[in-house]
Amino acid sequence: MRLAPAEARTLAERAVGLTAADAAEAVVTSGDSALTRFAGNRIHQNVAESDTTLAIRAVLGRRTGVASTNRIDDAGLKHCAAAAVDAAHHAPEDPHFPGLPAGGRVDDPARGLAGVEAYGADARAEAAAGIIAPSARRGLTAAGTVARNLYTLAVANTLGVSRAAAGGDVRATVLAMGGSGGSGWASWLGADTAGFVPQHLGERAADIATRSSDPQPLDPGVYAVVLAPEAVSDILEFMGWLGFGAKSIDEGSSFLSGHIGEPMADSRITIADDALAPETIGLPFDFEGTTRTRVPLIEAGIARSPVTDSYYAAKLGLPNTGHALPAPNFDGPLPLNLAMASGAASEHEMIASVERGVYVTRFHYVNVEDPMKLVLTGMTRDGTFLIEDGRLTAPLKNLRFTQAVLEALAHVGAVGSERVLVGPGEGGATLVPALLLDRWEFTGQTG
Amino acid sequence: MKDSVAIALDAARSAGATYADVRVVETRREGIAVRTGRVEGIEHAESLGVGIRVIAGGAWGFAATSDLAPDAVRACAREAVALARAAATTLRAPVRLAPVGAYTDTWTGPCEVDPFGISLDDKLAIMLAADEALRAESAVRISSVGMEFLHVRKVFGSTEGSLIEQSYYESQAGMTAYALGDGEMLPRSYPNSHGGQAVQGGWETIVALDLAGNAPRVGEQAAALLSASECPATTTDVIIDSSQIALQVHESIGHPTELDRVLGDEAAFAGTSWVGVPDLGDLRYGSEHVTVTSDSTVPGSLGSFGYDDEGVPAQRDYLVRDGILAGFQSSRESALEIGRTSNACMRADGWNRQPLVRMTTVSLEPGMWALPDLIADTERGIYFETNNSWSIDDRRLNFQFACEIGWEIENGMLGRMIKNPNYTGITPEFWGSCDAVCNRDHWQVWGIPNCGKGEPMQVAHVAHGAAPARFRGVRVGVGR
Repeated sequence: MRLAPAEARTLAERAVGLTAADAAEAVVTSGDSALTRFAGNRIHQNVAESDTTLAIRAVLGRRTGVASTNRIDDAGLKHCAAAAVDAAHHAPEDPHFPGLPAGGRVDDPARGLAGVEAYGADARAEAAAGIIAPSARRGLTAAGTVARNLYTLAVANTLGVSRAAAGGDVRATVLAMGGSGGSGWASWLGADTAGFVPQHLGERAADIATRSSDPQPLDPGVYAVVLAPEAVSDILEFMGWLGFGAKSIDEGSSFLSGHIGEPMADSRITIADDALAPETIGLPFDFEGTTRTRVPLIEAGIARSPVTDSYYAAKLGLPNTGHALPAPNFDGPLPLNLAMASGAASEHEMIASVERGVYVTRFHYVNVEDPMKLVLTGMTRDGTFLIEDGRLTAPLKNLRFTQAVLEALAHVGAVGSERVLVGPGEGGATLVPALLLDRWEFTGQTG
Repeated sequence: MKDSVAIALDAARSAGATYADVRVVETRREGIAVRTGRVEGIEHAESLGVGIRVIAGGAWGFAATSDLAPDAVRACAREAVALARAAATTLRAPVRLAPVGAYTDTWTGPCEVDPFGISLDDKLAIMLAADEALRAESAVRISSVGMEFLHVRKVFGSTEGSLIEQSYYESQAGMTAYALGDGEMLPRSYPNSHGGQAVQGGWETIVALDLAGNAPRVGEQAAALLSASECPATTTDVIIDSSQIALQVHESIGHPTELDRVLGDEAAFAGTSWVGVPDLGDLRYGSEHVTVTSDSTVPGSLGSFGYDDEGVPAQRDYLVRDGILAGFQSSRESALEIGRTSNACMRADGWNRQPLVRMTTVSLEPGMWALPDLIADTERGIYFETNNSWSIDDRRLNFQFACEIGWEIENGMLGRMIKNPNYTGITPEFWGSCDAVCNRDHWQVWGIPNCGKGEPMQVAHVAHGAAPARFRGVRVGVGR
């Protein structure tokens, strides 16, 4: 059973008290998750999981060690505390370690989770059936998920930090596939079930699948592209991972290294990390118990400072923005709730303004070829269309792109007026509009 | 652990399950990371829990909990049955399983020296020495050395009468030097990228890597890459080293021959496959030099076990034989759908995940060539070494790989160093262009401990045996 925030806080505080070190921090993550998975128009996997994990960071001078366990009885706690202290004993001193962040007890406002808690196996099966139905009616096959996540995070340390909060989300995805090469995708993510209409989701995917049957080839080359929000999210997540964190700036490996304050994109591009925005599903504090703040990363095209945690804030002389990941953190602080500012154009208007280009529903298997030039490669998937004279005229076979993303973001045709929440949930998501980019290089195609 | 298995099986039966299997899994992990002179983290992690999989009403249900109190285990079993009954509302045909024997057995993986018995001081001494040596070249501004150790104990029991205990150790280590120049960062890794080499075994496998001894060479190569030539954009012959062949096999043969993908069960997330069941025995996957096996009996491989996670004994099977599609990786359920029995590929990444069809050790079988002879036999081309980036489409047809380093081949000899080399292709065309595979002297099993698949996401530890191989007429230097 998932611990309530008060229970998780008590556990964290108890673990801190058991740790025989100069300073200590305990992080409790507790969750109940359930996922109903369907394929071939039937539910084929229906899973649920309950777990609570405690992680202790022990500090001895400037040495730190971390241990974690999901045995949360007395013996498990003591063993975990001793293992963390033992690790700290063996660690060399880190001259840059600033100590654990100080703070106080904060009673974060409770979120209403009753809707998520009540979203049980029968309701998810009913939703899956609703999503499948439009595909089944059209002779298509549907595959996807209906998932519910409930999670609690508590952080306490010997410098007074004591915080606990709970969150939850509902997520659904659907891929509709036809017999003649067509496929369509739709997804939904929200803090609860409000606004989630399974049949609408299923209709959207089935409609794209129907329209994308018998896809045609397209010669590789540079085209204008309209990227639907889900495709924009794929790109934005890589930007966050590769360049918006303080560690990559410190190491000089970020595409923003040496360019803070300089124009890096079209002036219509504004990207921030904002876990507390009402449209998203972020938790109010990070894994050190620091309040998450809104951090502008690219503002009207200008590169701004990265997100930080206590370590990199002290090392770089920047404010702690509240973006710590669980210790030990090999990635440094990262933005988990990226948001791109909306623009003025509807998706229809974007398409209408393109003489010849490509519409991309989403990407698949994007990866990095050059992190500092932000060169990414990946494939299109589940609804790629040729745009001619302002209209979607033909479905296309999937295309491979190899593109320096910052170059593309310097040539923006329009930014979408509507934003969509996309992502894995469990506290992480991007809030993104569609984008019209004037130049995007497709380097290959699936035959 | 056995008590929890028995309690769960009883509870599942009582709740109406017509089949149940239970896995109690205990893992112990140690991870150590050193980066540019700093010990970034020392972490010990333990996890224990039970996963209960049932068939009720003809459908699957799976529930997992870390609470092993008897009442909690019984409640978990009842939840699994309730999930199965909810899934049954969309059922088209009841789940059926290919037969398997009932086994009572114990299996233990190889380990000479318990890695958890080695002091952190000893581990850090090796890592810090290697880290410092990587940065002997001033151009290497970032260095990274990692070690990870895992001990797994698990008990499997089923309502068909199996009770199987298994345990094994995994050890992993690797290092990377990053040379930073004018707007570019170039990595060079040993013994492999993305965390290094991972095997079933103990501390002896880490010592054998000689990280500190190899670090100066790795750092020098990283620094040299800054002044190396860019990869030409052309079509040419390529020879690919064994570690990159391992990933090429993984992405373009391993995944597309997973039977759950072929049957559409992974369509929405990982994707489907370019091959279908009717292709079995007929489809030309590659040239006659391409023979690929799935083998869960390879000693010391991350893909080995005594029994898979639905109690099927480990075995070796052909996926591609002399270039022709010969088999699929399967589960009891998927195998029966094509009229076969399971070849033991159901694996879960922990107690909290339902097993999926996963790779074991999927290997390109060795050929006849010695690598120096193969290079000497190649008039013009590029030799690729060590993966840097990978991408492939949802049917596993269109791929693009980037490597850390390459060398031009000119008149049968290695020439200029090449930075950022990449190549792209279409799976059957690419494997069809393979005209030479190196022999067993150059063949090595590479562990890949980060294979993602499934929802919720599972990360499998798999492996691939591979030797360097040559491919004719490959497009390289994409986007360069």
